[in-house]
Amino acid sequence: MGDIINYRSRRSHEETTAYVGMVIFLGSWAMLFAGLFFVYGAVRLRAPVWPPPGQGPLPVALPAINTLVLALSSAAMQAGLTLLRRGHTRALAPFLGTTAILGMVFLGLQTVVWSRVAKAGLKPASGPYASAFYGLTWFHALHVGVGLIALLWLSFRAVQGAYSLPRHQSVRLWTMYWHFVGVVWGVMFLTVYVI
Amino acid sequence: MEQHFEIQPIHPEPTSFVRRYIFSTDHKVIAKQFLWAGLIFLLVGGTLAMMIRWQWAYPGEKVPVLGDLFLRRSGGVIGPATYTSIFTMHGLIMIFFAITPAMIGAFGNFCIPLMIGARDMAFPKLNMLSFWTFVVSLLLIIASFLVRLGSAGAGWTTYPPLSTQIGTPGWGQTLVVAAIFVTGAATIMGSINYVTTVLRLRAPGMTYLRMPLTVWGLWLTAILNVLFVPVLGAAALLLFLDRVFGTQFFIAGAASVRGGGDPILFQHLFWIFGHPEVYILILPAWGIVGDLISFFARKPAYWYKGTVFAMTAVTILSAVVYGHHMFVTGMNPLLGKSFMLLTLIISVPAEMLFLNWLHTIWKGSIRLTTAMLFGLGMVFVFGLGGLTGLYLGTISTDLYLHDTMWVVGHFHFTMAAASFLATFGAIYFWFPKMFGRNMSEGLGKIHFWFSVVFITLVFGGQLFVGYAGQQRRLYDPYQYTFLAHLHFPNKLTSWFGFMLGIGQVPFIINFFKSLFAGSKAEQNPWQVGTLEWTLCPSPPPHHNFDKIPTVLRGPHEYANPEVRKALGRDWIGQAEELPAVAGTAVAEKSGA
Repeated sequence: MGDIINYRSRRSHEETTAYVGMVIFLGSWAMLFAGLFFVYGAVRLRAPVWPPPGQGPLPVALPAINTLVLALSSAAMQAGLTLLRRGHTRALAPFLGTTAILGMVFLGLQTVVWSRVAKAGLKPASGPYASAFYGLTWFHALHVGVGLIALLWLSFRAVQGAYSLPRHQSVRLWTMYWHFVGVVWGVMFLTVYVI
Repeated sequence: MEQHFEIQPIHPEPTSFVRRYIFSTDHKVIAKQFLWAGLIFLLVGGTLAMMIRWQWAYPGEKVPVLGDLFLRRSGGVIGPATYTSIFTMHGLIMIFFAITPAMIGAFGNFCIPLMIGARDMAFPKLNMLSFWTFVVSLLLIIASFLVRLGSAGAGWTTYPPLSTQIGTPGWGQTLVVAAIFVTGAATIMGSINYVTTVLRLRAPGMTYLRMPLTVWGLWLTAILNVLFVPVLGAAALLLFLDRVFGTQFFIAGAASVRGGGDPILFQHLFWIFGHPEVYILILPAWGIVGDLISFFARKPAYWYKGTVFAMTAVTILSAVVYGHHMFVTGMNPLLGKSFMLLTLIISVPAEMLFLNWLHTIWKGSIRLTTAMLFGLGMVFVFGLGGLTGLYLGTISTDLYLHDTMWVVGHFHFTMAAASFLATFGAIYFWFPKMFGRNMSEGLGKIHFWFSVVFITLVFGGQLFVGYAGQQRRLYDPYQYTFLAHLHFPNKLTSWFGFMLGIGQVPFIINFFKSLFAGSKAEQNPWQVGTLEWTLCPSPPPHHNFDKIPTVLRGPHEYANPEVRKALGRDWIGQAEELPAVAGTAVAEKSGA
């Protein structure tokens, strides 16, 4: 009996430690994005007109849909996690799968946006306006890509039934990561595309 | 809390060679890996320094030995382009690939779990990943030397437009920028581990104010790393995009289209990281020396809480002073004054640290071991570095001294001399625990005197010619008539530099000799009270502690009359119970 109590307290101690580590990591990585947004703001304040003459505004409709897609995917992942914690173990896999599919939709639509913008004549080397657009969205998309790989793996493991109420640490941590990527996108959508 | 030792399980020791020594998750093995990497690259960075000094002593003349080895294409002579590569890579290698791994990587990994009573880091696999990510960045650095047009040549600060494709074309600079990003990622992984480990895995009773100062220094450094290395990451990332994909974050003027970006922007990002970085490199040194001085003065560290407070204050202040690197960039004068004020305020906590160290030595029964000598040497050179910094933090004098050799001398005294002397002190101190063998004190003392005397003379020489007006980074300073008369002091400084280089030979001999043939170390050769010396054999087993200790007191319990009465010695372990001797406590107190 005593062993079981120790076993459980060890688990929860390790889980809290992992949670703390993840919070520190996300805080650290937020500083990187803060640096990127700082550069965006400075470049933009420096320009007399934005967008520069001859370079049209960026598309807003598709990125707006994308914002919705990413928000839905975050919601789906959170729903899966919450259901798991209420004991609905089998609900996790479909929700993780939905999250992964929505993530892929996001990357697909983002590729459409990139190719349309490039067709309209805005290449990475066409000045600071293009730099900010491509630099920030590329780097964000890379994070979505990393998240997708993890989501596919988590979905695969969830189908196998690897996660249960006491054992779902990696789902919890990747949910945090995915929310983080979503929030960064929200800020990026508002700053780069809308205003 | 009573179940704490159950909370950290004992993992079985891996048996295969690869899992034990190469892809190891054991913090002690990773510490040694970082130490090896750091010392090897210290040798590389030091060799580059010798070549710079040769160029300043005998500009355009054939470099003896090294010229035949590395500069065959130019007949052994350092050409202007090679010269810029040499001083650039000297700086980058020393900061990111020598001090960082040798001090933070090695002693952070080794000391933090052992000194707080943990079985390993919070995330051992992440720890391993941190080292191997670091190795990737080392490979990028090595690759940069082998590509056409050579390695990076834009100075360690990598300012655009010099660091863009226009200023420094070729893949060398690009690879180095990538290496900075990758090593930054490795640092962040390590630092997440350090911060979390201290937060979560302290043994029962190891309160924050019972942690050794070494742990405090390393912990504060890790916090700064976690916050500010990502900003360097952002700068390196955008510079990489500028160089590879033709974006224009940092390109302006004729080379840009549609307005272009802003080169000064890079300086902001760089110094937002860069100023905390100098404290990143000195906080562990302060911590280590704070402990060493108390250990070998056989006295409690004077006003331990004040030292902790001062180190924390410096950590916080370090984040808000970066503008003093940019006084001459056309900054708003009011902003400049604010940065100057904040910068000079740092000297208050720094002074507190200093006085605490001196007070600790005062009337102590000092044991001049090699480790203590290096600690005292660090105090001396850091004092010089700190005082010369005041002239650079003050706008009026900085305008004259900016970008001169004075700056070079100043930051070498603080970042190079102080950090390395503390690192060497740490090596002499923890070597018996790390490798289970003693180092030779005699060779160590020769190494110390060579190091401290010539470090002072070399960097003092730099201050001297800097004050006389010599700009930094000049290929041949004496082609300018107003600097021609400085050839002699430069030549003299160069010879001091060569002596400093030669003075490291005793260390290399000592290190290898002790590693293979040193006498077996006792558990506690220094008679100190911290957990790694009192509770672990030398070297410690895979799981560090058979039973996680319960800590009862702070790390600096020396010369306590009560302890002497009960145990007959002048120190007591942090987790050692004091046997009750009836009536002594009160009697001693009133008798004293």
